Amino acid sequence: MQSVAGYVFLTLAAVASVFPLYFMVVSATNSSNEVLASKLLPGTHLLENFRTLVGAQPLGVALWYSALIAVGTTILALAVTSVAGYGFEVFHTKAKDRFMGFLLLGIMIPFAATMIPLFRMFGDLGLVNSWIAVVLPAISTPFLVMLFRQASRSFPHEIIEAARIDGLKELQIFLRIYVPTMRPTFAAAAVITFMAAWNNFLWPKVILVNNDVQTLPMLLTNIQAGYVTDYGMLMLAVLIASLPAMLVFLALQKSFAQGITGAIK
Amino acid sequence: MRTTARKLAVMAAVLPLGLALAACGGGGGSTASGEGGGGDGDNTLTVWAWDPAFNIYALQEAEKVYQQENPDFELDIQEVPWEDVQTRLTTLAQSQETGELPDIFLMQNNAFQKNVLNYPDLFSDLSGSDVDFSEFPESVVAYSTVDGTNYGVPFDNGTAITALRTDVLEQAGYTVDDFTDITWDEFITLGEDVLAKTGQPLLSGQAGSADLPVMMLQSAGASLFDEEGNPTIVDNDALTAAIDTYQRLVETGVLVEVNTWDEYINTLVNDSVAATVNGVWILGSIQSAEDQAGKWAITNVPSLDGVQGATNYTANGGSSWAISSNADVELAQDFLAKTFAGSSELYDTILPGAGALANWIPASESDVYGEPQEFFGGDAIYSKVVGYAEKVPSNNTGAYYYEGRDAVSVAITNIMNGADPKAALEEAQSTVEFAMGS
Repeated sequence: MQSVAGYVFLTLAAVASVFPLYFMVVSATNSSNEVLASKLLPGTHLLENFRTLVGAQPLGVALWYSALIAVGTTILALAVTSVAGYGFEVFHTKAKDRFMGFLLLGIMIPFAATMIPLFRMFGDLGLVNSWIAVVLPAISTPFLVMLFRQASRSFPHEIIEAARIDGLKELQIFLRIYVPTMRPTFAAAAVITFMAAWNNFLWPKVILVNNDVQTLPMLLTNIQAGYVTDYGMLMLAVLIASLPAMLVFLALQKSFAQGITGAIK
Repeated sequence: MRTTARKLAVMAAVLPLGLALAACGGGGGSTASGEGGGGDGDNTLTVWAWDPAFNIYALQEAEKVYQQENPDFELDIQEVPWEDVQTRLTTLAQSQETGELPDIFLMQNNAFQKNVLNYPDLFSDLSGSDVDFSEFPESVVAYSTVDGTNYGVPFDNGTAITALRTDVLEQAGYTVDDFTDITWDEFITLGEDVLAKTGQPLLSGQAGSADLPVMMLQSAGASLFDEEGNPTIVDNDALTAAIDTYQRLVETGVLVEVNTWDEYINTLVNDSVAATVNGVWILGSIQSAEDQAGKWAITNVPSLDGVQGATNYTANGGSSWAISSNADVELAQDFLAKTFAGSSELYDTILPGAGALANWIPASESDVYGEPQEFFGGDAIYSKVVGYAEKVPSNNTGAYYYEGRDAVSVAITNIMNGADPKAALEEAQSTVEFAMGS
């Protein structure tokens, strides 16, 4: 009896969490007024919505830069912060611990506070309106350094000693022993970074002044900015914007859970 | 499991690229490049504006008009939603990187004075231009005027209208004439009758929005601030009357409150309500319901009862063109003077093309404005609305208009939930005073 109640509850909870996704997918195939009237069945306007979207907005440009920025940020962030986390743990001294504590304070500074100095900096470097200016501030976050450092705690130092005796150089130890062992942590860090970069809105909006370089979240606000919003087209754009992040998460889901709870058991 | 994960990962990588290619093939492509504004004399102006179907379309048409005299002239139009125009202006002003400003940007009328007062470094004034401001309604020019100096060329018309479903009114035995030149008291009486006979409320509105009360306020020439910019939320007869009217609209069921803007639009296009009171730009959404063609009509808005200076005319929204401090000022002024402030041809094109209604009074004399509109029962609604625009009383916005509106919105929500109106408005006043640092 209890399990029946449990199933009913879980089914309701599952429906409630999947429904918004279902509505998004279905609405992408309906016309604007049908979406407003909350039509719940698939319609026939998918192609029409796609044509309107492509005609009204630079979808290709936005997809290209969103992908470039998200992939670029993820690769660079993993490269930088994994080395930092490894270094802080494996070669740790009192002074480095204190420096790490200082780094962590950075988590507490809201982005809005650093936005204007950052803008000046990139302005002086001539990088306004360049995708590089979107990637650079995101490649080293205190949070990721901490994630790698905490995960490195459970990485046995004996292996490093053994590798040194066997003649491996420090870089080789990192690349050939540490990296393969810590795959779940890399996966977790990749998911977090990719999602943050893919969904990043405020900074790209400020630094990318020209329409030649746009990201998908910027494009979504463009669609809603007019007097008349085509909701069918908007839902299709939202669907296109959410798919890659969802797929990345699904692909790395298992490792993500492991990486968050600790890479090595 | 692993192969599924791999497949998903590959899809994640391939999907954006595939779609990107498809989109480019469809003509989405990239736009021409531009290097911001700047007085480099290259005959190109960079513009920030939002809404491809409206403002940006109007700009493209203006470019064509101006090219007739200056064949090598070009506009580099950057699509930037209004909220982001504001974010960028704030960032550029505070980081003093004004070199990134475009030549011209579009600005909401309600935010114009605030920006000129807070960031004067961003603007070039229009004194010395050929724009004849007497050809625009006084109330509209006032939005972009600070200390007697003009900073903006009015474009988008925010004149308020009452749009009514004639078929529903007919069922209740009324016509549009019964709703013309009336007061809000009369409107509520009529609304109750329509509700009783047809079951349909007249109005809908977003709960917690101050749009309607503020429109009522401006219809009496009143504001939330006095001439010196001090808040006048307490002991403001027009505001008290507006809030009281709004409360009665909701209590009688003549106005149904909905939660979001999207729901509001839904009530219009899906036959839930029989009317709406808003800026004339709302007609764009109304006309998206093609099955309702011929069933809508337009008239002026109700006036406040017992308030001095009450009229049947008001406004909501609207926007104006500003010239930046980084602009090729001479070219930008000449462009605006010969297009948005001087070309009937332009307005004749963009009215049928996008429903973009002029603030420039000479435009309304053209035949295009007098053409009957089938969607609105064959009425020449556009010349009608331009006629309303000239009668809209000025609204003093000042630097803290948005703070004032927000505080009043909160007060209205509290009053609707049973708070004492006087206490709620006193609280709103002190909130605004706090924001102003006084």
